[in-house]
Amino acid sequence: MRTALRPGRYLPFATSGLQTLLQYRSTFLVTGVTAAAGAAVTVFLWRAVYADPTGPGPGGFTRESITTYLVVAQVLAVAHANRVDDEVAAEVYRGDIAVALTRPVSYPLVRLAAGLPVVAANTALVGVPLLVLFAALVPLTVPAPADAALFLLSAVLSVLLAFCVNLLTGMAGFVTTNTWGVRMAKQGVVAFFAGQTVPLDLLPGPLRALASVLPFRAMADGPLTLLLGRYEGAAGAAAVLGHQLAWTAGLVLLCAVLWRAAVARLEVLGG
Amino acid sequence: MIVAEGLTKDFRIAERRPGLVGSLATLLSREHRTVRAVDGISFALPAGSKTAYIGANGAGKSTTIKMLTGIMTPTAGRCLVDGIEPYRDRRRNARAIGVVFGQRSQLWWDLSVPDSFQILRRVYDIPDTVYARNLALYRELLDIDALGTTPVRQLSLGQRMRAEIAASLLHDPKVVFWDEPTIGLDMVLKEAVRTLVNRAHAELGTTVLLTSHDLSDIAAICDDALVVDGGRVVHQGTLHDLLRRADRRSVVFEHRGGPGPDAVVRAIGAGLPGATASVTPEGRVRVDYPADALTSRQVLGFLLDRFELADCYAPEPDLETVLRQIYRGGVPAARDGGAA
Repeated sequence: MRTALRPGRYLPFATSGLQTLLQYRSTFLVTGVTAAAGAAVTVFLWRAVYADPTGPGPGGFTRESITTYLVVAQVLAVAHANRVDDEVAAEVYRGDIAVALTRPVSYPLVRLAAGLPVVAANTALVGVPLLVLFAALVPLTVPAPADAALFLLSAVLSVLLAFCVNLLTGMAGFVTTNTWGVRMAKQGVVAFFAGQTVPLDLLPGPLRALASVLPFRAMADGPLTLLLGRYEGAAGAAAVLGHQLAWTAGLVLLCAVLWRAAVARLEVLGG
Repeated sequence: MIVAEGLTKDFRIAERRPGLVGSLATLLSREHRTVRAVDGISFALPAGSKTAYIGANGAGKSTTIKMLTGIMTPTAGRCLVDGIEPYRDRRRNARAIGVVFGQRSQLWWDLSVPDSFQILRRVYDIPDTVYARNLALYRELLDIDALGTTPVRQLSLGQRMRAEIAASLLHDPKVVFWDEPTIGLDMVLKEAVRTLVNRAHAELGTTVLLTSHDLSDIAAICDDALVVDGGRVVHQGTLHDLLRRADRRSVVFEHRGGPGPDAVVRAIGAGLPGATASVTPEGRVRVDYPADALTSRQVLGFLLDRFELADCYAPEPDLETVLRQIYRGGVPAARDGGAA
């Protein structure tokens, strides 16, 4: 780990990631339109369910809070679109991973460094405008300052979690060439179990129990629970963050272990 | 500097059956077959040597290079590069080596060459003086400035290879592994690459291990040869010794007066059993003889006795002929008494 602990060596990967990104400006437009359309579908669907404005509806959501939940869930999804799964899968598939491994740096950390500017740019150029757009269209819940602070902390953890999930997804390329299917499956599983399509509190009992132990909850439902103050006291907030922290640590460890194992049995065939 | 001890690598390959029915069967059950790409090879290359790693396609060259660069772990045996087992300490090894995989780019596809170099400068902690010196060298020899700010993906193969070669030497590595480094380069640039590596070798004592199918690259860059066939080392020594393994020698001469070329050819066929003579397009006579049946003394003595030689030379056996002979299975030991 000697060399891994020198952040200066990873900085150029972050700046080059940003440089690469800026060459493809149209991707932001595409991401933006896709995210806005996705958000519009769920938001207007669920607003129809919560059409009765008197008092809280199913799951204790009001019309404003369910709208906020779904819009911010979409913003988080944009921040999680770090492309790490695509990049890793492509490098493994093409065999370019061989070149990456001849450099004196840790490949997962390189990917993290290259992914962070993508996250920052996506958040700033797509996520925030998306939030502003929907705030102008439909009324949203204004969070308490403490809840907003907890949310920001939780959102940062969720970005790290999303990185791990995507790294693991990309590493599927070591065992199968059909990473497209794996990536699609991951996207569906994450969207569902994070609460991006259906808020987790509205799921039937067994599914909700399953969702509450899986790591994906910490990617959207966790931060949103904090944002909307849907927790009971400091212990409730601590439980949400605890679940998130535990899974983040667990997945970081899993990435490290699986990465080592994958490289040890790596077979780059041909040239 | 580079040591291999019983280095072995097996690949497990899923056996696919032909045809649609076969493809369906593959869905249900898969059979695996083990392919041994590298079969217990051992060699030791001293620091500062320039070695060509030669072998037919599929001889395990690239696999060996991947183990030496730390990308792949051997199935058995081990290798050392500057005292490090590359696959165990990949990142430390990576600091000491430079790599070109002719088929893959190590540059940043969407960035320009100068931007890629700036990244490498940080990644390898290249001191400013070294960076400036090397860049000046690349300007002089490779005309690296001409690549400008074009993203690497838009460069031609030759332009990209120039940058790849420069990138592999940028951090003054102790060892460079070049796997087909001159594909896409024209003669002038190949010459420049040779000058570049020879200069690095002279100034820094860089150890070079090169694989190439271009035999002129090998001859221009390398002093030593490591020939692998069927996953095993069949020759380790100087390139010169390798050439002496040729089982045929030849002499080409011109003569004055006496019988015409066709009569000379007949006379040689009758007087030197085993030798064959032919007339070259320039009107010279070429004698080919098996090195184990005739000595050069016998052949030259015969010619001097009978003909008035005006000009005579004995071309060195060429690498291609020797390699073809080795790949075909005839692997004689190096001989004494050459034609040169």
